[in-house]
Amino acid sequence: MAAATQTNAAPPTPILIEKRFPLDLSESITTIRDLYDDSKKARWDPAADIPWQSFDVSGYSQDVRRAAALTWSRRSWVEYTGLPETPALLIRFCLEVGREADPKYFLAVRNTEEAWHVEVCHKIAEAFGGYVDAPSNDNYAALFNQAFSKQALGADTFLDGYVAAHCALEDGLELQLWRGYLDNATDPAVKRALELCVDDKKRHAAFGWFYVEKRAAQWSDADRTAVADTITHHLGEVEFKGYHCAWMAADNAAEEIVVADRITAAAGLGALTPEAEAAIVSDYLALARDRFAALGIDMPTIPIPAA
Amino acid sequence: MSAQPAIMREPTILDHGENRFPLDLGVRIPRIRNLFHSATKNQWDPKTDIDWHLLELSKYTEEQLMAAREYWSRRAWAEYGAISESPALQIRFCQDRLEPDLQMFFAIRSQEEARHAEVCYLMAEHLGGFVEQPFVVDYQASVSTHGIRKMALDPSFSLEAIIVALVCGAEEIAFDVFRHLLDVTTDPVALQVVKAVMRDEVRHCAFGWYFMAHRIKSLTPDEIKVIENALIIMIEKVEMNGYHSAWLAPDNPASNAEVNADRLTWEAGLGATVEELEKPVFVATVQRIRRQVEPWGVELPVFEHPKIGKF
Repeated sequence: MAAATQTNAAPPTPILIEKRFPLDLSESITTIRDLYDDSKKARWDPAADIPWQSFDVSGYSQDVRRAAALTWSRRSWVEYTGLPETPALLIRFCLEVGREADPKYFLAVRNTEEAWHVEVCHKIAEAFGGYVDAPSNDNYAALFNQAFSKQALGADTFLDGYVAAHCALEDGLELQLWRGYLDNATDPAVKRALELCVDDKKRHAAFGWFYVEKRAAQWSDADRTAVADTITHHLGEVEFKGYHCAWMAADNAAEEIVVADRITAAAGLGALTPEAEAAIVSDYLALARDRFAALGIDMPTIPIPAA
Repeated sequence: MSAQPAIMREPTILDHGENRFPLDLGVRIPRIRNLFHSATKNQWDPKTDIDWHLLELSKYTEEQLMAAREYWSRRAWAEYGAISESPALQIRFCQDRLEPDLQMFFAIRSQEEARHAEVCYLMAEHLGGFVEQPFVVDYQASVSTHGIRKMALDPSFSLEAIIVALVCGAEEIAFDVFRHLLDVTTDPVALQVVKAVMRDEVRHCAFGWYFMAHRIKSLTPDEIKVIENALIIMIEKVEMNGYHSAWLAPDNPASNAEVNADRLTWEAGLGATVEELEKPVFVATVQRIRRQVEPWGVELPVFEHPKIGKF
């Protein structure tokens, strides 16, 4: 496979140059160090801890299997985001002088968990008849090309703002949606896979909120504005375009996925209807708004697309 | 007021945006996917899987403990470097849309590097306290980085050359020295740490050879020459300059202090080794690497070092 990189005219992404010493590896954010230690204790093995042997898709109709394959393929596409994003975030924490050791340790283990999630979602999609490697609609596919790793690593990105939008808000929303998928799952293997992933995602969301809560005290007004702007951009340009909830995509660009999710949800295979997702999104954003307000962040009120 | 941070503004792979689809997630290099699965099965926790209570400080002199603190802190600095180098390679794999097996294995490899930094840090702490920076400032540059992170993000730099230089070169040398530590380390806790890290490093080294076995047939003679040069530079300019082993560095107060700390730590059986024992290990490893890369068309020259001679 040939390397796909080519030069273009874009200005170079500014990247901080490391100043390693003095190197502080001590515990300074106990809540996050605890998450790291919990992750190590909660280690699991996708091959051994999900009852694949008894996972029998033959009892589902062809339509349901096709729908579930697409639902779980799309979930793979979303979960894949972490594979390049988390390494970039981890490097950024290492390069920026004064960043604490605890997030670095935690992000290192978070990426392992993300790799497990990708493999599990892919395996379920394969079991239902075959993983689909791309959305059929080019506009919807383009939504996934967010280049989060460039944002996370770019020195011109305010790191706390990035963590607020992506690790607190986004990962918190993702956790609530996955809890919904789990609550609506009846197939034992699918349910177990969701349980294991949700347990990891609880820590992922907690990390984001713990970190911004720790940092908020030192934010200036300009920092708070930058955080709010990053959140506004993420909600308006990413989430509300259908990144996690396909029904939000404009012009029915993800219609086949919306239809598939309804069928998958009805079969108890780990999905939600648009109406159920809309309720989760609405409730979660209200909570997030309160939580950000307590940190001095005025989270914008952007209308949620109609389900 | 703090100084403005230094910023690099050179082209990197990040400048090219993302092109996620089609997104291949299948098994394309089974041996590397197996490394990912093996790493998943063999996770361990530095806090709970090492019997720290067995470390009896009273058996050692103050001087030995100070040296061992310094030695394990130095190991932690080096392992910490990998926490941000391993992820840079993973970004490269993702950006170049290479086989998903590489991306998955490197996700857990970065975690293992974090684990190694943690266990070395804990060892230094248990010995009396982690040392946050080299006592001799001159030594900082040599333990900071061997430039892998920058190279991994540089689109003009051959990925195969990076992997061969880093994994088939530097990591092989580090691994063989680490295996040798099993023979000279007597403290039970230090021995547990060495064994635990070594079990992970086996996979890290295997990755390099599996990756190259998969890629070598598609490389042109010119690309193989680039690999050869990168490996020579890693051995001659980095390793033979004391990156892993202070006794190989040119004589100066910094390297002399490190050599002295290593000797005291070795005498105590707390996990280091010394020039006279490490030299044959180093030479044998380089000779083995030379034999292993020869079938690829990579020719390593005869090297020469003042403390070794020609080898």
